[in-house]
Amino acid sequence: MEVDPHLSLIAACYGTGALSALFARWSGRLALGVGYLAALAGAIAGLWVSLDVLLGPPRSALTQTLPDLFPFARLSLAVDGLSAYFVLVISVVATAASVYGPAYLRAHSPDAGPARQATQVLAYNVFLGAMVFLCCAGDALTFLLCWEGMTLASYVLVVSDDRDGENARAGLLYMVMAHGGTALLLVAFLALTERAGAFDFASLRAAAGDLDGATRSTLFFLALGGFATKAGVVPLHVWLPRAHPAAPSHVSALMSGVMLKVAIYGILRFGFDLLAPVAGPLTPAWGWTVLTLGTTSAVLGVLYALQQHDLKRLLAFHSVENIGIILIGVGLAMIAWRRDEAGAALATVALAAALLHTINHAAFKGLLFLGAGSVLCRTHLRNMEELGGLARRMPWTAGLFLLGAIAISALPPLNGFVSEWLTFQALLGGAGRFRGGAGLGVVVSAAMLALTGGLAAACFVKAFGVTFLGRPRTPHAEHAREAPPSMIAGMAWLGALCVALGIAPGYAMRLLDAPTAGLLHGPGASAVLTARGPLVLSAAFGADATALSMPVLAALLVALAAMAWIARRGWRRAPLRSAPTWTCGMSPTARFDYTATAFAKPLRLVFATLYRPRRKVIRDTAGTPYVAKRIRYTGEVVDLAETQIYQRVQNTITALSRTLRTRSSGRIHAYIAFVLAALMVTLLIFGVGPQ
Amino acid sequence: MTGERPFALVLLEMSFLMLLGPLVTGIIQKIKARLQLRQGAGVLQPYRDLAKLFRKGTVQADTTSGLFRSIPVFVLAATVAAGALVPVFRGGPPAVPLGDALLLLGLLALARFLTAVGALDAGGAFGGMGASREMTVAPLVEPVLMMVVFSTAVAAGTTELGALAAHRSASWLLAWRAADFLGFAAMLVLLPAETGRIPVDNPDTHLELTMLHEGMLLEHSGPGLGCMLLASHTRQVVTLGFVAALFLPASPMAAGSALGFLIGAAAFIAKILVLALYLALVESSYAKLRFFRIPQYLAVGFVCALSALALRIL
Repeated sequence: MEVDPHLSLIAACYGTGALSALFARWSGRLALGVGYLAALAGAIAGLWVSLDVLLGPPRSALTQTLPDLFPFARLSLAVDGLSAYFVLVISVVATAASVYGPAYLRAHSPDAGPARQATQVLAYNVFLGAMVFLCCAGDALTFLLCWEGMTLASYVLVVSDDRDGENARAGLLYMVMAHGGTALLLVAFLALTERAGAFDFASLRAAAGDLDGATRSTLFFLALGGFATKAGVVPLHVWLPRAHPAAPSHVSALMSGVMLKVAIYGILRFGFDLLAPVAGPLTPAWGWTVLTLGTTSAVLGVLYALQQHDLKRLLAFHSVENIGIILIGVGLAMIAWRRDEAGAALATVALAAALLHTINHAAFKGLLFLGAGSVLCRTHLRNMEELGGLARRMPWTAGLFLLGAIAISALPPLNGFVSEWLTFQALLGGAGRFRGGAGLGVVVSAAMLALTGGLAAACFVKAFGVTFLGRPRTPHAEHAREAPPSMIAGMAWLGALCVALGIAPGYAMRLLDAPTAGLLHGPGASAVLTARGPLVLSAAFGADATALSMPVLAALLVALAAMAWIARRGWRRAPLRSAPTWTCGMSPTARFDYTATAFAKPLRLVFATLYRPRRKVIRDTAGTPYVAKRIRYTGEVVDLAETQIYQRVQNTITALSRTLRTRSSGRIHAYIAFVLAALMVTLLIFGVGPQ
Repeated sequence: MTGERPFALVLLEMSFLMLLGPLVTGIIQKIKARLQLRQGAGVLQPYRDLAKLFRKGTVQADTTSGLFRSIPVFVLAATVAAGALVPVFRGGPPAVPLGDALLLLGLLALARFLTAVGALDAGGAFGGMGASREMTVAPLVEPVLMMVVFSTAVAAGTTELGALAAHRSASWLLAWRAADFLGFAAMLVLLPAETGRIPVDNPDTHLELTMLHEGMLLEHSGPGLGCMLLASHTRQVVTLGFVAALFLPASPMAAGSALGFLIGAAAFIAKILVLALYLALVESSYAKLRFFRIPQYLAVGFVCALSALALRIL
């Protein structure tokens, strides 16, 4: 058994980190320090391994057999291009989170006992290790074990942060939803392993080769259901905006930025690799389902994000949106994928867009969650209506948060724009190729993506403006200080990545070569998209190519900004004077600042059909209606998925159990009769074995 | 593929648009004044305003952050950079590729985003109100604009504006199909919204009932305000140039000769003037819409754009 030094190094780092929880016996701080240092080493090792696979000479997958733990299955790891790319995504955010984490935990919960610190260190390292080895899994059992490890570790992290009931409820909902998804995955995997008689992916692939179309699709949709639950696709997203904000902020960054991507990895692995037919295209229904789910998630995710006033909850809803954008690319790649030349190019662009958005979202969402964490640990507030004025008190955090906000709103010259541009180009290419109803469907998806971008910009003007600008609305915000340097360093690393991926996306295309070529068996991403050199992205679906050169644009913007700066200084250094903001003659206070609720109100009314907003105003008047002593306002919007699906299911179950309760008399023999009847019915239906 | 517009020409076009911007505003104001039977200020008045502002000192709200002073700089830079994407003197793709129609819309959106962020900085209610309204209208306008771009791009197979313009001049009005007319109609509905004019916004007042864009500028002063105003003039002419590139023919002459250059410039100015006249006429003949009527107004554009797309693809 040959042992690959790279993978063992990652395992050793995270293993050391997990074991360092034992140091908490002597000192919680020591455990925290050693554990996070080990995690950082593991993340850097992950970066090294993945870059080595992605940029190194093309070779067959890096494989490694693991010790035999189970008599019925051999565990193994196999790292191909796709695995390596997702390990890269995980390691990028893990690096930032591991730098950021210790200072955050010390500042946010200084009174945490060593037991809690030990739990957090253990769960954190297990979480990271499980995610990395899930993407490297070479067989179904390793995959499922890591999947479960990831879920359990993140659950522990969600409930570990505070000891209030809300975290526990969020954790419970997360657990129930995650296990529902796992059950679907189990069915899909077990159906395959039963046919293959083995657990390793190569045998599963071979066994899937002679499935008929209906079974293949059933298995795909089962797996899709499982992964979509984890990815937080609408309408399976209800756990996400509760669980993600409840975790410590650097863990939120990992859950939103990375854990959801693991589900994307699963969809890609199942759709393009394990279940893909040996010859011919994928079943069209797969791609269209993914595209529809993606489009719905993108629009609804951002619409609900817009009405959130809890900073971390808002960011969590944006994860739903961005997963939707990634799925648009994945779905289009599934529809377009053919083994011929034209289909291969279109599918490559679509998949490259999805994969690029995967790392882009990891970078900017990680950055934004870490920024929100800095605000949280300095003010202990997540509600934006109580914040404000932080840009003067926390300039670094504010600047980096603004950078992330521009990136997530898909504005040039940062990375969010590039991947959305690629998605648009892929959608347009699809519209030109499909024509007919299919083409129209693709274009409507493109229009929805445009709407998503616009709404995201509106949402982040609100999030940034209300949190960081204006006057502080509470003493907590007024006395905020800048976050410690190590937290800023964690954010700066992700911020630098947002800029680099935005300005030089052509170089990032090289990272996408191995996964796109490996999955689609066609030309790599850089052969299709950087045909004109690494400085220019170009997509050609018609006679003319469409080109985008981010480096030239960045240089142009810098030059223009420099000139505008000189012009603004004026020809003769005119004086600068400071004065209070004009508030119609009243003395300015924080109550003149626009609130988040007020900011989002016009859009709340425009999209009232989706929000079903409710508001209640109670006025205490002094005799005449013109003199109000006190006004109390409450308003809320509903999540349609929650009210229309989950609450109805819940009501039905409650009603059914009420009905049953009237029948339950408490007499044992009645129950025995029920059980017997149920058994008889089951036997009648399923008991007829093969004759 | 070699481009037809060298980089120097692209930079020249960009500067030309920036210099032309205030003049277009001046002309629209003049036409409006004459339609109201007023003499009106001269067409060069916007230049005089800018020159005055750039000489003045700055009064800044004491609650603003360090960000506030750099907002006008970046807004202006982003808007002017968007101008580099508009084909002015002739069609065809640029020699040094820069970007396409989506980048143009993205840069304008960046400028709007930063303006709205700046508006919230001073902590006055007017800035917040303007930002909130602007960011309500923008997400409704942008997708429809994109759909109009798509409806022409699907036919041409590219979203590069120069190539689209060249494609358009090859087949003008006589070759137009229903989809083109509908797309143009959608564009005409959106144009006042994108340039911030009646019936969506009113650039002439600072009343809180009407203001969207102007509300966001209230706290800027001196050279900063000058940058913001220059940016909004540029934005207007860039939008008009964008419409012209999508729907009106570009000069077929080669740009190499001085004559071709002049004809291209004259043709561009003529196209801009036609669109400016349209804006002035609309602004003089309609009243500002109540804010919550604006989505319905934009829905007209949406229906046109969707039909254009459907006709093009089906």
